Amino acid sequence: MIRCENLHVTFNRGLPTEKLALRGVDLSIDKSQFVTVIGSNGAGKSTLLNAIAGDVSSTQGKIFFDEREVTRLPATARTKDIARVFQDPLAGTCGNLTVEENMALAYGRGSRGKLKPALNGKLRELFKEQLARLNLGLEDRLDAEMGLLSGGQRQSVSLLMSALQPSTILLLDEHTAALDPKTAALIMDISSQIIAEKQLTVMMVTHSMRQALDYGNRTIMLHEGKVVFDLSGDERANCQVKDLLDLFAKAKGDGDELDDDKLLLGA
Amino acid sequence: MSLFAFFGTLEIGFIYGLVAIGVYLTFRVLDFPDLTVDGSFTLGAAVTATLIVLGYNAYLATLLGTLAAGAAGLVTAWLNLRFNILHLLASILTMTALYTINLRVMGKPNVALIMEPTVLMPFESLPLENMYLKVVFVAVCAIVVGLAVAWFLNTQYGLAMRAVGANTRMAQANGIVVKEKVYVGLALSNGLVGLAGALFAQTNGFADSTMGIGTIVVGLAAVIIGQSLFASRSMVVIVLSCIVGSLLYRIAVSAALNADFLGFTASDLNLITAVLVGLALVFPQLRREWKAKRAREGKQ
Repeated sequence: MIRCENLHVTFNRGLPTEKLALRGVDLSIDKSQFVTVIGSNGAGKSTLLNAIAGDVSSTQGKIFFDEREVTRLPATARTKDIARVFQDPLAGTCGNLTVEENMALAYGRGSRGKLKPALNGKLRELFKEQLARLNLGLEDRLDAEMGLLSGGQRQSVSLLMSALQPSTILLLDEHTAALDPKTAALIMDISSQIIAEKQLTVMMVTHSMRQALDYGNRTIMLHEGKVVFDLSGDERANCQVKDLLDLFAKAKGDGDELDDDKLLLGA
Repeated sequence: MSLFAFFGTLEIGFIYGLVAIGVYLTFRVLDFPDLTVDGSFTLGAAVTATLIVLGYNAYLATLLGTLAAGAAGLVTAWLNLRFNILHLLASILTMTALYTINLRVMGKPNVALIMEPTVLMPFESLPLENMYLKVVFVAVCAIVVGLAVAWFLNTQYGLAMRAVGANTRMAQANGIVVKEKVYVGLALSNGLVGLAGALFAQTNGFADSTMGIGTIVVGLAAVIIGQSLFASRSMVVIVLSCIVGSLLYRIAVSAALNADFLGFTASDLNLITAVLVGLALVFPQLRREWKAKRAREGKQ
Protein backbone atom coordinates (compact mmCIF):
# COMPACT_ATOMS: atom_id res chain seq x y z
CA MET A 1 0.00 0.00 0.00
CA ILE A 2 2.74 2.47 1.00
CA ARG A 3 6.26 1.99 -0.28
CA CYS A 4 9.24 4.20 0.43
CA GLU A 5 12.44 3.59 -1.54
CA ASN A 6 15.70 5.00 -0.26
CA LEU A 7 13.91 8.05 1.08
CA HIS A 8 16.13 10.98 2.07
CA VAL A 9 15.00 14.28 3.56
CA THR A 10 17.46 17.06 4.31
CA PHE A 11 16.49 20.32 5.97
CA ASN A 12 18.42 23.55 5.40
CA ARG A 13 20.62 21.94 2.78
CA GLY A 14 23.94 23.70 2.40
CA LEU A 15 23.52 25.78 5.52
CA PRO A 16 25.40 25.39 8.81
CA THR A 17 22.11 24.20 10.32
CA GLU A 18 21.80 21.40 7.75
CA LYS A 19 19.92 18.43 9.16
CA LEU A 20 19.70 14.99 7.61
CA ALA A 21 16.27 14.05 8.90
CA LEU A 22 15.84 10.89 6.84
CA ARG A 23 18.84 9.00 5.48
CA GLY A 24 17.56 6.30 3.23
CA VAL A 25 14.34 4.80 4.54
CA ASP A 26 13.20 1.63 2.77
CA LEU A 27 9.79 0.62 3.93
CA SER A 28 6.93 -1.34 2.47
CA ILE A 29 3.59 -1.40 4.24
CA ASP A 30 0.82 -3.76 3.14
CA LYS A 31 -2.82 -2.89 2.90
CA SER A 32 -4.62 -2.83 6.28
CA GLN A 33 -1.37 -3.07 8.15
CA PHE A 34 -1.22 -1.02 11.36
CA VAL A 35 2.35 0.11 11.91
CA THR A 36 3.47 1.79 15.11
CA VAL A 37 6.55 4.00 14.74
CA ILE A 38 8.90 4.64 17.65
CA GLY A 39 12.23 6.36 18.11
CA SER A 40 13.81 9.07 20.22
CA ASN A 41 13.40 12.78 19.61
CA GLY A 42 14.83 13.84 16.26
CA ALA A 43 14.90 10.28 14.92
CA GLY A 44 12.79 11.30 11.92
CA LYS A 45 9.41 9.84 12.88
CA SER A 46 7.38 12.94 12.17
CA THR A 47 9.49 13.72 9.10
CA LEU A 48 8.69 10.28 7.71
CA LEU A 49 4.96 10.88 8.21
CA ASN A 50 5.22 14.38 6.75
CA ALA A 51 7.12 13.05 3.74
CA ILE A 52 4.44 10.43 3.12
CA ALA A 53 1.71 13.07 3.52
CA GLY A 54 3.59 15.42 1.20
CA ASP A 55 4.16 18.26 3.68
CA VAL A 56 7.90 17.74 3.35
CA SER A 57 9.46 17.08 -0.02
CA SER A 58 12.11 14.40 -0.23
CA THR A 59 15.60 15.22 -1.44
CA GLN A 60 16.13 11.71 -2.78
CA GLY A 61 14.16 8.51 -3.12
CA LYS A 62 10.62 7.64 -4.09
CA ILE A 63 7.23 7.15 -2.47
CA PHE A 64 4.49 4.94 -3.91
CA PHE A 65 0.86 4.41 -2.93
CA ASP A 66 0.01 1.00 -4.36
CA GLU A 67 1.86 1.20 -7.67
CA ARG A 68 1.33 4.94 -8.17
CA GLU A 69 4.37 7.09 -7.61
CA VAL A 70 3.41 10.13 -5.51
CA THR A 71 6.88 11.52 -4.76
CA ARG A 72 6.21 14.80 -6.58
CA LEU A 73 2.50 15.01 -5.78
CA PRO A 74 1.63 18.00 -3.53
CA ALA A 75 0.14 17.36 -0.10
CA THR A 76 -3.32 18.53 -1.10
CA ALA A 77 -3.48 16.03 -3.95
CA ARG A 78 -2.52 13.18 -1.60
CA THR A 79 -5.43 13.91 0.72
CA LYS A 80 -7.62 11.70 -1.50
CA ASP A 81 -5.72 8.77 -0.03
CA ILE A 82 -4.55 10.13 3.29
CA ALA A 83 -6.31 11.25 6.44
CA ARG A 84 -4.28 12.68 9.30
CA VAL A 85 -4.59 13.46 12.96
CA PHE A 86 -1.96 15.74 14.46
CA GLN A 87 -0.42 15.79 17.91
CA ASP A 88 -1.72 19.28 18.67
CA PRO A 89 -5.51 19.15 19.10
CA LEU A 90 -5.60 22.76 17.90
CA ALA A 91 -3.89 21.86 14.61
CA GLY A 92 -6.47 19.43 13.30
CA THR A 93 -9.52 21.65 13.66
CA CYS A 94 -10.40 25.29 13.07
CA GLY A 95 -11.09 27.02 16.37
CA ASN A 96 -13.22 29.78 14.94
CA LEU A 97 -15.43 27.60 12.81
CA THR A 98 -18.29 25.60 14.31
CA VAL A 99 -18.20 21.86 14.94
CA GLU A 100 -20.44 21.20 11.94
CA GLU A 101 -18.41 23.51 9.69
CA ASN A 102 -15.24 21.68 10.65
CA MET A 103 -16.87 18.36 9.87
CA ALA A 104 -18.21 19.71 6.57
CA LEU A 105 -14.65 20.65 5.62
CA ALA A 106 -13.42 17.17 6.37
CA TYR A 107 -16.40 15.71 4.53
CA GLY A 108 -15.22 17.56 1.43
CA ARG A 109 -11.66 16.29 1.74
CA GLY A 110 -10.13 15.33 -1.57
CA SER A 111 -12.91 16.90 -3.64
CA ARG A 112 -12.79 20.38 -5.10
CA GLY A 113 -14.92 22.81 -3.13
CA LYS A 114 -18.07 23.46 -5.10
CA LEU A 115 -20.35 26.45 -5.14
CA LYS A 116 -23.12 24.74 -3.27
CA PRO A 117 -24.03 25.06 0.40
CA ALA A 118 -21.47 23.30 2.56
CA LEU A 119 -24.10 22.15 5.06
CA ASN A 120 -27.56 20.67 4.77
CA GLY A 121 -30.00 18.66 6.85
CA LYS A 122 -28.73 15.32 5.62
CA LEU A 123 -25.13 16.12 6.49
CA ARG A 124 -26.10 17.42 9.92
CA GLU A 125 -27.85 14.10 10.60
CA LEU A 126 -24.72 12.22 9.56
CA PHE A 127 -22.50 14.41 11.75
CA LYS A 128 -24.84 14.00 14.72
CA GLU A 129 -24.81 10.25 14.29
CA GLN A 130 -21.01 10.21 14.16
CA LEU A 131 -20.59 12.54 17.14
CA ALA A 132 -22.96 10.41 19.21
CA ARG A 133 -20.38 7.58 19.03
CA LEU A 134 -18.06 9.63 21.20
CA ASN A 135 -20.50 9.79 24.12
CA LEU A 136 -19.30 13.31 24.84
CA GLY A 137 -22.64 15.01 24.25
CA LEU A 138 -21.21 16.81 21.23
CA GLU A 139 -24.10 15.73 19.01
CA ASP A 140 -26.13 18.54 20.58
CA ARG A 141 -23.43 21.13 20.02
CA LEU A 142 -23.11 21.09 16.25
CA ASP A 143 -23.24 24.87 16.05
CA ALA A 144 -20.81 25.49 18.91
CA GLU A 145 -17.52 27.12 18.03
CA MET A 146 -14.74 24.54 17.94
CA GLY A 147 -12.57 26.81 20.09
CA LEU A 148 -14.99 26.36 23.00
CA LEU A 149 -14.32 22.61 23.17
CA SER A 150 -11.62 21.06 25.34
CA GLY A 151 -8.44 19.62 23.84
CA GLY A 152 -9.70 16.07 24.25
CA GLN A 153 -13.03 16.88 22.66
CA ARG A 154 -11.31 18.59 19.76
CA GLN A 155 -9.00 15.64 19.24
CA SER A 156 -11.99 13.28 19.28
CA VAL A 157 -13.71 15.35 16.63
CA SER A 158 -10.48 15.43 14.56
CA LEU A 159 -10.47 11.67 14.65
CA LEU A 160 -14.07 11.43 13.47
CA MET A 161 -13.28 13.97 10.79
CA SER A 162 -10.43 11.85 9.49
CA ALA A 163 -12.90 9.03 8.87
CA LEU A 164 -15.69 11.03 7.22
CA GLN A 165 -14.28 10.48 3.74
CA PRO A 166 -13.26 7.09 2.57
CA SER A 167 -9.48 7.07 2.60
CA THR A 168 -7.07 4.21 2.65
CA ILE A 169 -4.24 5.60 4.74
CA LEU A 170 -4.44 7.10 8.22
CA LEU A 171 -1.43 8.91 9.66
CA LEU A 172 -1.49 9.47 13.42
CA ASP A 173 1.31 11.65 14.74
CA GLU A 174 1.41 11.20 18.53
CA HIS A 175 -2.25 12.03 18.49
CA THR A 176 -2.76 11.19 22.16
CA ALA A 177 0.43 12.77 23.52
CA ALA A 178 -1.15 16.08 24.50
CA LEU A 179 -4.07 14.50 26.34
CA ASP A 180 -4.67 13.30 29.89
CA PRO A 181 -4.45 9.49 30.33
CA LYS A 182 -8.22 8.94 30.46
CA THR A 183 -8.92 10.96 27.33
CA ALA A 184 -5.92 9.37 25.62
CA ALA A 185 -7.39 5.92 26.29
CA LEU A 186 -10.74 7.03 24.89
CA ILE A 187 -9.09 8.40 21.76
CA MET A 188 -7.10 5.18 21.26
CA ASP A 189 -10.34 3.22 21.63
CA ILE A 190 -12.11 5.22 18.98
CA SER A 191 -9.05 5.08 16.74
CA SER A 192 -8.98 1.29 16.94
CA GLN A 193 -12.70 1.10 16.18
CA ILE A 194 -12.44 3.33 13.13
CA ILE A 195 -9.34 1.56 11.86
CA ALA A 196 -10.96 -1.86 12.15
CA GLU A 197 -14.23 -0.67 10.65
CA LYS A 198 -12.66 0.99 7.60
CA GLN A 199 -9.80 -1.49 7.14
CA LEU A 200 -7.30 1.39 7.06
CA THR A 201 -3.59 1.22 6.50
CA VAL A 202 -2.18 3.04 9.50
CA MET A 203 1.08 4.58 10.61
CA MET A 204 1.03 5.75 14.21
CA VAL A 205 3.94 7.62 15.74
CA THR A 206 4.10 7.25 19.49
CA HIS A 207 6.49 7.93 22.32
CA SER A 208 4.97 5.24 24.45
CA MET A 209 6.57 1.78 24.08
CA ARG A 210 3.48 0.33 25.71
CA GLN A 211 1.19 1.85 23.09
CA ALA A 212 3.58 0.79 20.33
CA LEU A 213 3.24 -2.86 21.34
CA ASP A 214 -0.42 -2.85 22.42
CA TYR A 215 -1.79 -1.46 19.19
CA GLY A 216 -1.29 -2.46 15.60
CA ASN A 217 0.44 -5.46 14.08
CA ARG A 218 3.89 -4.16 13.24
CA THR A 219 6.40 -1.91 14.99
CA ILE A 220 9.32 -0.09 13.44
CA MET A 221 11.96 1.96 15.17
CA LEU A 222 13.70 4.88 13.57
CA HIS A 223 17.08 6.14 14.62
CA GLU A 224 19.02 8.95 12.97
CA GLY A 225 16.80 8.86 9.95
CA LYS A 226 16.93 5.12 9.33
CA VAL A 227 14.75 2.15 10.16
CA VAL A 228 16.82 0.26 12.76
CA PHE A 229 14.42 -2.56 13.42
CA ASP A 230 11.15 -3.87 12.21
CA LEU A 231 9.03 -6.25 14.29
CA SER A 232 5.94 -8.20 13.32
CA GLY A 233 4.25 -11.55 13.82
CA ASP A 234 5.35 -13.81 16.68
CA GLU A 235 8.53 -11.91 17.26
CA ARG A 236 6.45 -8.85 18.06
CA ALA A 237 3.82 -10.77 20.01
CA ASN A 238 6.48 -12.04 22.41
CA CYS A 239 8.18 -8.71 22.74
CA GLN A 240 8.03 -6.80 26.00
CA VAL A 241 8.75 -3.13 26.64
CA LYS A 242 12.08 -4.16 28.12
CA ASP A 243 13.02 -6.14 25.03
CA LEU A 244 12.25 -3.11 22.92
CA LEU A 245 14.59 -0.98 24.98
CA ASP A 246 17.34 -3.58 24.65
CA LEU A 247 16.79 -3.80 20.92
CA PHE A 248 16.99 -0.06 20.76
CA ALA A 249 20.28 0.09 22.67
CA LYS A 250 21.72 -2.59 20.40
CA ALA A 251 20.55 -0.77 17.29
CA LYS A 252 22.23 2.36 18.43
CA GLY A 253 25.42 0.50 19.03
CA ASP A 254 26.23 2.00 22.42
CA GLY A 255 24.82 1.48 25.85
CA ASP A 256 25.77 4.81 27.33
CA GLU A 257 22.76 6.76 26.24
CA LEU A 258 20.30 4.10 27.24
CA ASP A 259 19.31 5.82 30.46
CA ASP A 260 18.37 9.00 28.68
CA ASP A 261 16.30 7.11 26.24
CA LYS A 262 14.65 5.11 28.96
CA LEU A 263 13.34 8.40 30.22
CA LEU A 264 12.09 9.34 26.82
CA LEU A 265 10.75 6.03 25.71
CA GLY A 266 9.73 4.26 28.91
CA ALA A 267 6.14 3.12 29.16
CA MET B 1 -27.68 68.08 9.88
CA SER B 2 -29.90 68.83 6.90
CA LEU B 3 -31.95 66.10 5.29
CA PHE B 4 -29.85 66.46 2.18
CA ALA B 5 -26.65 65.97 4.14
CA PHE B 6 -28.16 62.99 5.95
CA PHE B 7 -29.06 61.21 2.73
CA GLY B 8 -25.63 62.02 1.38
CA THR B 9 -24.19 60.34 4.48
CA LEU B 10 -26.32 57.23 3.95
CA GLU B 11 -25.30 57.06 0.29
CA ILE B 12 -21.60 57.14 1.13
CA GLY B 13 -22.25 54.72 3.99
CA PHE B 14 -23.77 52.09 1.70
CA ILE B 15 -21.02 52.53 -0.90
CA TYR B 16 -18.32 52.04 1.72
CA GLY B 17 -20.34 49.09 3.01
CA LEU B 18 -19.06 47.29 -0.11
CA VAL B 19 -15.52 48.33 0.83
CA ALA B 20 -16.13 46.96 4.34
CA ILE B 21 -17.24 43.59 2.94
CA GLY B 22 -14.08 43.49 0.83
CA VAL B 23 -11.92 44.34 3.83
CA TYR B 24 -13.75 41.70 5.89
CA LEU B 25 -12.81 39.08 3.28
CA THR B 26 -9.09 39.85 3.49
CA PHE B 27 -8.55 40.89 7.10
CA ARG B 28 -10.97 38.52 8.78
CA VAL B 29 -11.65 35.60 6.44
CA LEU B 30 -8.19 35.15 4.90
CA ASP B 31 -6.17 36.81 7.69
CA PHE B 32 -4.35 38.69 4.91
CA PRO B 33 -4.07 42.41 5.77
CA ASP B 34 -4.43 43.98 2.35
CA LEU B 35 -3.80 47.68 1.75
CA THR B 36 -4.25 47.35 -2.03
CA VAL B 37 -7.77 48.71 -1.56
CA ASP B 38 -6.53 52.31 -1.36
CA GLY B 39 -5.45 51.89 -4.97
CA SER B 40 -8.15 49.53 -6.21
CA PHE B 41 -10.97 51.81 -5.03
CA THR B 42 -9.55 54.54 -7.27
CA LEU B 43 -8.81 52.07 -10.07
CA GLY B 44 -12.46 50.96 -10.14
CA ALA B 45 -13.54 54.59 -10.27
CA ALA B 46 -10.91 55.62 -12.83
CA VAL B 47 -11.58 52.78 -15.28
CA THR B 48 -15.35 53.21 -15.02
CA ALA B 49 -15.33 57.00 -15.34
CA THR B 50 -12.90 56.96 -18.26
CA LEU B 51 -14.94 54.36 -20.15
CA ILE B 52 -18.19 56.25 -19.54
CA VAL B 53 -16.66 59.45 -20.87
CA LEU B 54 -15.47 57.50 -23.91
CA GLY B 55 -19.08 56.56 -24.53
CA TYR B 56 -19.23 53.01 -23.18
CA ASN B 57 -22.38 51.71 -21.50
CA ALA B 58 -22.26 52.58 -17.79
CA TYR B 59 -23.00 49.00 -16.67
CA LEU B 60 -20.29 47.57 -18.89
CA ALA B 61 -17.91 50.27 -17.62
CA THR B 62 -18.75 49.41 -14.01
CA LEU B 63 -18.16 45.73 -14.68
CA LEU B 64 -14.79 46.44 -16.28
CA GLY B 65 -13.82 48.78 -13.42
CA THR B 66 -14.67 46.00 -10.96
CA LEU B 67 -12.64 43.44 -12.90
CA ALA B 68 -9.65 45.78 -13.14
CA ALA B 69 -9.68 46.26 -9.38
CA GLY B 70 -9.97 42.48 -8.91
CA ALA B 71 -6.89 42.05 -11.10
CA ALA B 72 -5.01 44.47 -8.80
CA GLY B 73 -5.84 42.10 -5.94
CA LEU B 74 -4.36 39.23 -7.96
CA VAL B 75 -1.11 41.16 -8.33
CA THR B 76 -0.83 41.56 -4.55
CA ALA B 77 -1.61 37.88 -4.03
CA TRP B 78 0.98 36.91 -6.65
CA LEU B 79 3.71 39.05 -5.04
CA ASN B 80 2.98 37.43 -1.70
CA LEU B 81 2.50 33.82 -2.79
CA ARG B 82 5.04 33.58 -5.58
CA PHE B 83 7.86 35.64 -4.09
CA ASN B 84 7.08 35.42 -0.37
CA ILE B 85 6.88 39.18 0.02
CA LEU B 86 5.19 39.98 3.32
CA HIS B 87 1.45 40.49 2.66
CA LEU B 88 1.38 44.06 4.01
CA LEU B 89 4.40 45.03 1.95
CA ALA B 90 3.11 43.32 -1.19
CA SER B 91 -0.13 45.25 -0.92
CA ILE B 92 1.70 48.55 -0.32
CA LEU B 93 3.74 47.91 -3.48
CA THR B 94 0.63 47.30 -5.55
CA MET B 95 -1.09 50.31 -4.00
CA THR B 96 1.89 52.55 -4.84
CA ALA B 97 2.03 51.27 -8.42
CA LEU B 98 -1.71 51.79 -8.78
CA TYR B 99 -1.37 55.51 -8.04
CA THR B 100 0.55 55.94 -11.28
CA ILE B 101 -1.63 53.51 -13.17
CA ASN B 102 -4.75 55.41 -12.13
CA LEU B 103 -3.28 58.66 -13.42
CA ARG B 104 -2.41 56.91 -16.67
CA VAL B 105 -5.88 55.41 -17.00
CA MET B 106 -7.53 58.80 -16.60
CA GLY B 107 -4.80 60.72 -18.40
CA LYS B 108 -5.26 63.53 -15.88
CA PRO B 109 -5.76 63.86 -12.11
CA ASN B 110 -9.55 63.72 -12.34
CA VAL B 111 -12.42 62.93 -14.66
CA ALA B 112 -15.79 64.66 -14.33
CA LEU B 113 -18.96 62.69 -14.93
CA ILE B 114 -21.45 65.56 -14.82
CA MET B 115 -24.25 64.98 -17.33
CA GLU B 116 -22.78 61.64 -18.42
CA PRO B 117 -25.08 58.59 -18.56
CA THR B 118 -24.33 56.62 -15.36
CA VAL B 119 -25.79 53.40 -13.95
CA LEU B 120 -28.56 55.54 -12.46
CA MET B 121 -29.82 56.62 -15.89
CA PRO B 122 -32.42 53.90 -16.45
CA PHE B 123 -34.07 54.85 -13.16
CA GLU B 124 -34.09 58.60 -13.60
CA SER B 125 -37.57 58.54 -15.13
CA LEU B 126 -38.95 57.11 -11.86
CA PRO B 127 -40.96 59.57 -9.77
CA LEU B 128 -38.23 59.68 -7.17
CA GLU B 129 -36.02 62.61 -6.33
CA ASN B 130 -32.41 62.15 -7.34
CA MET B 131 -31.27 62.38 -3.71
CA TYR B 132 -33.47 59.42 -2.70
CA LEU B 133 -32.86 57.49 -5.90
CA LYS B 134 -29.11 57.41 -5.29
CA VAL B 135 -29.54 56.13 -1.73
CA VAL B 136 -32.01 53.44 -2.76
CA PHE B 137 -29.78 52.36 -5.65
CA VAL B 138 -26.58 52.02 -3.62
CA ALA B 139 -28.48 50.41 -0.72
CA VAL B 140 -29.87 47.74 -3.04
CA CYS B 141 -26.42 47.20 -4.57
CA ALA B 142 -24.74 46.86 -1.17
CA ILE B 143 -27.38 44.53 0.29
CA VAL B 144 -27.64 42.30 -2.80
CA VAL B 145 -23.84 42.01 -3.04
CA GLY B 146 -23.65 41.43 0.74
CA LEU B 147 -26.17 38.59 0.61
CA ALA B 148 -24.32 37.06 -2.34
CA VAL B 149 -21.03 37.17 -0.41
CA ALA B 150 -22.71 35.62 2.65
CA TRP B 151 -24.12 32.85 0.46
CA PHE B 152 -20.68 32.31 -1.06
CA LEU B 153 -19.00 32.03 2.35
CA ASN B 154 -21.47 29.30 3.26
CA THR B 155 -20.71 27.19 0.20
CA GLN B 156 -18.11 24.43 0.19
CA TYR B 157 -15.75 26.77 -1.61
CA GLY B 158 -16.38 29.66 0.78
CA LEU B 159 -16.01 27.42 3.82
CA ALA B 160 -12.67 26.22 2.46
CA MET B 161 -11.59 29.84 2.10
CA ARG B 162 -12.51 30.52 5.73
CA ALA B 163 -10.51 27.48 6.80
CA VAL B 164 -7.45 28.76 4.92
CA GLY B 165 -7.48 31.94 6.99
CA ALA B 166 -8.26 30.18 10.25
CA ASN B 167 -5.91 27.19 10.12
CA THR B 168 -3.77 26.78 7.03
CA ARG B 169 -2.28 23.44 8.06
CA MET B 170 -5.67 21.92 8.74
CA ALA B 171 -6.97 23.30 5.45
CA GLN B 172 -4.10 21.65 3.61
CA ALA B 173 -4.57 18.35 5.40
CA ASN B 174 -8.16 18.41 4.15
CA GLY B 175 -7.07 18.82 0.57
CA ILE B 176 -7.72 22.55 0.24
CA VAL B 177 -5.43 24.30 -2.24
CA VAL B 178 -4.43 27.26 -0.09
CA LYS B 179 -2.89 29.48 -2.77
CA GLU B 180 -5.89 29.28 -5.03
CA LYS B 181 -8.16 30.41 -2.19
CA VAL B 182 -5.91 33.40 -1.46
CA TYR B 183 -5.92 34.44 -5.14
CA VAL B 184 -9.68 34.15 -5.40
CA GLY B 185 -10.22 35.89 -2.07
CA LEU B 186 -8.01 38.86 -2.92
CA ALA B 187 -9.54 39.23 -6.39
CA LEU B 188 -13.02 39.12 -4.90
CA SER B 189 -12.17 41.57 -2.13
CA ASN B 190 -10.54 44.12 -4.42
CA GLY B 191 -13.27 43.62 -7.00
CA LEU B 192 -15.86 44.64 -4.39
CA VAL B 193 -13.77 47.66 -3.45
CA GLY B 194 -13.42 48.58 -7.14
CA LEU B 195 -17.20 48.30 -7.53
CA ALA B 196 -17.57 50.68 -4.61
CA GLY B 197 -15.18 53.09 -6.34
CA ALA B 198 -17.13 52.82 -9.59
CA LEU B 199 -20.42 53.57 -7.81
CA PHE B 200 -18.83 56.42 -5.86
CA ALA B 201 -17.59 58.04 -9.08
CA GLN B 202 -21.02 57.78 -10.69
CA THR B 203 -23.09 59.02 -7.76
CA ASN B 204 -20.68 61.86 -6.96
CA GLY B 205 -19.94 62.82 -10.54
CA PHE B 206 -16.17 62.43 -10.63
CA ALA B 207 -13.17 60.16 -10.31
CA ASP B 208 -10.04 61.60 -8.73
CA SER B 209 -6.54 60.19 -8.33
CA THR B 210 -6.58 60.87 -4.58
CA MET B 211 -10.07 59.57 -3.81
CA GLY B 212 -8.77 56.23 -2.52
CA ILE B 213 -6.57 57.57 0.25
CA GLY B 214 -7.69 56.16 3.57
CA THR B 215 -10.07 53.59 2.06
CA ILE B 216 -8.51 50.83 4.12
CA VAL B 217 -8.98 52.70 7.40
CA VAL B 218 -12.62 53.44 6.66
CA GLY B 219 -13.27 49.85 5.62
CA LEU B 220 -11.56 48.49 8.70
CA ALA B 221 -13.48 50.91 10.91
CA ALA B 222 -16.76 49.69 9.46
CA VAL B 223 -15.81 46.03 9.96
CA ILE B 224 -14.77 46.60 13.55
CA ILE B 225 -17.78 48.74 14.47
CA GLY B 226 -20.13 46.23 12.87
CA GLN B 227 -18.57 43.23 14.57
CA SER B 228 -18.39 44.83 17.99
CA LEU B 229 -22.12 45.55 17.81
CA PHE B 230 -23.34 42.25 16.39
CA ALA B 231 -21.65 39.19 17.77
CA SER B 232 -22.93 36.39 15.58
CA ARG B 233 -21.78 33.25 13.81
CA SER B 234 -24.21 33.71 10.95
CA MET B 235 -22.49 34.79 7.75
CA VAL B 236 -25.52 36.85 6.72
CA VAL B 237 -25.43 38.80 9.99
CA ILE B 238 -21.66 39.25 9.83
CA VAL B 239 -21.64 40.52 6.25
CA LEU B 240 -24.62 42.81 6.77
CA SER B 241 -23.04 44.13 9.97
CA CYS B 242 -20.16 45.38 7.78
CA ILE B 243 -22.70 47.55 5.95
CA VAL B 244 -24.33 48.71 9.18
CA GLY B 245 -20.86 49.46 10.60
CA SER B 246 -20.09 51.57 7.56
CA LEU B 247 -23.37 53.52 7.93
CA LEU B 248 -22.78 54.13 11.64
CA TYR B 249 -19.23 55.24 10.97
CA ARG B 250 -20.40 57.77 8.37
CA ILE B 251 -23.14 59.06 10.65
CA ALA B 252 -20.68 59.45 13.52
CA VAL B 253 -18.22 61.32 11.30
CA SER B 254 -20.82 63.69 9.91
CA ALA B 255 -22.30 64.23 13.38
CA ALA B 256 -18.85 65.21 14.64
CA LEU B 257 -18.24 67.50 11.69
CA ASN B 258 -21.69 69.08 12.02
CA ALA B 259 -21.63 69.63 15.77
CA ASP B 260 -20.87 73.36 15.86
CA PHE B 261 -19.79 73.35 19.51
CA LEU B 262 -16.91 70.99 18.64
CA GLY B 263 -15.62 73.44 16.07
CA PHE B 264 -14.39 70.79 13.60
CA THR B 265 -13.90 71.62 9.95
CA ALA B 266 -13.78 69.26 6.99
CA SER B 267 -9.99 69.20 7.18
CA ASP B 268 -10.21 67.55 10.60
CA LEU B 269 -11.72 64.43 9.05
CA ASN B 270 -8.63 62.25 9.40
CA LEU B 271 -8.23 62.98 13.09
CA ILE B 272 -11.90 62.18 13.69
CA THR B 273 -11.49 58.97 11.69
CA ALA B 274 -8.47 57.90 13.72
CA VAL B 275 -10.25 58.62 17.01
CA LEU B 276 -13.38 56.74 15.93
CA VAL B 277 -11.41 53.70 14.74
CA GLY B 278 -9.37 53.82 17.93
CA LEU B 279 -12.54 53.85 20.01
CA ALA B 280 -14.03 50.98 18.05
CA LEU B 281 -10.86 48.96 18.60
CA VAL B 282 -10.65 49.76 22.30
CA PHE B 283 -14.33 49.31 23.08
CA PRO B 284 -14.54 45.47 22.98
CA GLN B 285 -11.46 45.23 25.20
CA LEU B 286 -12.85 47.74 27.72
CA ARG B 287 -16.18 45.95 27.74
CA ARG B 288 -14.44 42.69 28.65
CA GLU B 289 -12.53 44.41 31.43
CA TRP B 290 -15.69 46.00 32.84
CA LYS B 291 -17.50 42.69 32.74
CA ALA B 292 -14.64 40.90 34.48
CA LYS B 293 -14.50 43.63 37.11
CA ARG B 294 -18.24 43.47 37.74
CA ALA B 295 -18.07 39.69 38.01
CA ARG B 296 -15.30 39.95 40.63
CA GLU B 297 -17.17 42.56 42.62
CA GLY B 298 -20.36 40.51 42.43
CA LYS B 299 -18.62 37.53 44.02
CA GLN B 300 -17.18 39.40 46.96
